Amino acid sequence: MDVAEVTAKDVLDVRGLVRRYGDLTAVDGVSFHIRAGETYGLLGPNGAGKTTIISMVAGLIPANEGSVRVAGRDMTPSETEAKRVIGLVPQELAIYPDLTARENLKFFGRLQGLTGKDLTRRTNEVLELIGLSDRAGDLTKKYSGGMKRRLNIGIGLLHRPALLILDEPTVGVDPQSRNSILESVERLSVEGMAVLYTTHYMEEAERLCDRIAIIDEGRFQAEGTRDQLITLTGGVDRINLRGGGSTALAAEALRALPAVQHVDSDGSGLMLTVSDGPTALAGIVTGAGDAGMSVTSVEIVRPDLESVFLHLTGKALRD
Amino acid sequence: MRGLWTMVANDLRQRIRDKSVFIFSLIVPLALMGVLSLVFGGLGDDTVDLQPVTVVASADDADQLGAALLGAVESLEIMDVTIKRVPAPDVRGEMQASGAELGIIVPEGFSDAALSGQAASVQLLEGSDATLESGVLISVVQGVVDQISAGTVTAAAGGIAGLPHQDLAALAEQAAAGPALLTLTEGQAAAEQLSLRGTLVAGQAGLFLMFTVGFGVLGLLAEREQGTLARLRSMPVTAVTVITAKACTGFILGVVATTVLLTAGSRLFDVSFGSPLVVAALILCVATAATSLTFVVARLVRTAEQANVAQAILAMVLGIAGGAFFPVEGTGFAATLLDLNPIGAFIRGLGISAGGGTLRDVTGPVAVMLAFAAAGLVLSRFLPDRGAQA
Repeated sequence: MDVAEVTAKDVLDVRGLVRRYGDLTAVDGVSFHIRAGETYGLLGPNGAGKTTIISMVAGLIPANEGSVRVAGRDMTPSETEAKRVIGLVPQELAIYPDLTARENLKFFGRLQGLTGKDLTRRTNEVLELIGLSDRAGDLTKKYSGGMKRRLNIGIGLLHRPALLILDEPTVGVDPQSRNSILESVERLSVEGMAVLYTTHYMEEAERLCDRIAIIDEGRFQAEGTRDQLITLTGGVDRINLRGGGSTALAAEALRALPAVQHVDSDGSGLMLTVSDGPTALAGIVTGAGDAGMSVTSVEIVRPDLESVFLHLTGKALRD
Repeated sequence: MRGLWTMVANDLRQRIRDKSVFIFSLIVPLALMGVLSLVFGGLGDDTVDLQPVTVVASADDADQLGAALLGAVESLEIMDVTIKRVPAPDVRGEMQASGAELGIIVPEGFSDAALSGQAASVQLLEGSDATLESGVLISVVQGVVDQISAGTVTAAAGGIAGLPHQDLAALAEQAAAGPALLTLTEGQAAAEQLSLRGTLVAGQAGLFLMFTVGFGVLGLLAEREQGTLARLRSMPVTAVTVITAKACTGFILGVVATTVLLTAGSRLFDVSFGSPLVVAALILCVATAATSLTFVVARLVRTAEQANVAQAILAMVLGIAGGAFFPVEGTGFAATLLDLNPIGAFIRGLGISAGGGTLRDVTGPVAVMLAFAAAGLVLSRFLPDRGAQA
């Protein structure tokens, strides 16, 4: 199926999704939607509920409450029509080691309804896309981890799904393959594919996702564009000053500056919370020097999604 | 259906490629057949060669029935018998001297006594080492004596009824000359019993079928562990299609492996299982039964490793109880349980087929195997899926 054939405005529409395992509520009232050409990120630590959401969206497990609609069709484990327009890239490698890359692609392509020349053409295109054309005839058990990861993604892309679901696709991948995967996802988004991307890597979410949901303990803590999420922290920067001399006097002097909101000292330097760090930096360094501190290094830390997560949950993203 | 056969073809390709199916379904059982055949080497030969024997006998040459008795012994076609005639008191001594297997003492006046309805005893003396040959001879003598006894009883009954003496003799002769009560012919011991080599081949084929079908449904657990099951379930195919494809894979592998094993086994060990049509029906039924059992196992275990262990235990229990290694018999409830064993039913069916049985004759074993398959399928529907809960 071509992406263009999907006419619904929202490729994915998730409402009030709940999933319980006994007394544990793994996903608690999650709602979001993704449009064609949009990459939507689920950012949260391991165990936050990302994979459970993905499993319900892909029709692997039923929801206890709520609904999932893909391209206008209800998605449930027994629903086959909705599954024709999704491509799932599971977190764990999902390829057959005793088949070649080409055989893996053709097998899953047939299950997705591709046949004959279409199947052959798409297989060759995907092999080219994931950079495995020259190794297409090798058994995948002889592949490196990165090659297997690329094939894992390629299988999800084969039938040109309207919605591509990627569950932590870069876990355990070397930097080179990781960059290749991220570039591929960026291209897909440009081509109009809707992408649901889960990760616990802040950098990936920032680079790829048009909108991001921060999830913890099965609930969305916040949702929006990167900039919208950053504003939740108050939009402040952190400036770290390292050096010796009169740090106590310097701290006193810097607190008096209008841009500085907070100053902490840890013995080896000062940590300041400021609004618009780059603009205030010159005055801060001058003020510290005037107060008798010999500054040896300066670092500006802009607010990021890690800061947002810390701000919202009180814990680090990778705890 | 397209998705189903796509999955079946994919599974078969992988099984053939990883060679495990060849090893566990063909090479190992054939090797085991060969080893067991060597271990039970003597048992493996179905023909029994009876050795020549010497019999020391005492009988009056004029006694017609005594002569007939010795004549019956001497004229046996199944073994070479030499009779040494000596006076009655010398029989025992001659036996010890010559090492004869049997001594026969026919009393004086044996014919007259038998024909007049009076009691008379033929004395048999067995050599110091009882042999199969002496056992056969005793049976033959017993058979002839029984026939003569029929004449004696008839004559006695005539006497009680008041018949004239000359009529009693004629009547006794007539009864004694009736059709032989004991005949010895070469052939199958029983219609439902395979030869020992046949049992070995059929039993090993049935036993390893249990392992072979495991490559199908139990492959689901392997797919769960390697992550491909999640991907399959995200595809536009139903869960029933996925499971059915696995069952078909196991069934096809089972049928092919069992057919190859029976064919190769029958050639290598010179065994015949009878009508190919009947054998084919039995193979299809036992493969169905074995496949259904894998559904039960797949529900009870959490990992592929557990599945392999459980399948191996079930295969060995059913195989041994079914007679894959040696005949197993029971009485009462145990016998009923043994009769319900699909491997036992398979071997029984092949025994009937080998004895010339038709499709109608194997209805019983077929019914047992299909009932087992139905029970397995029903049971698997009601068992919780422990693997999915893991």
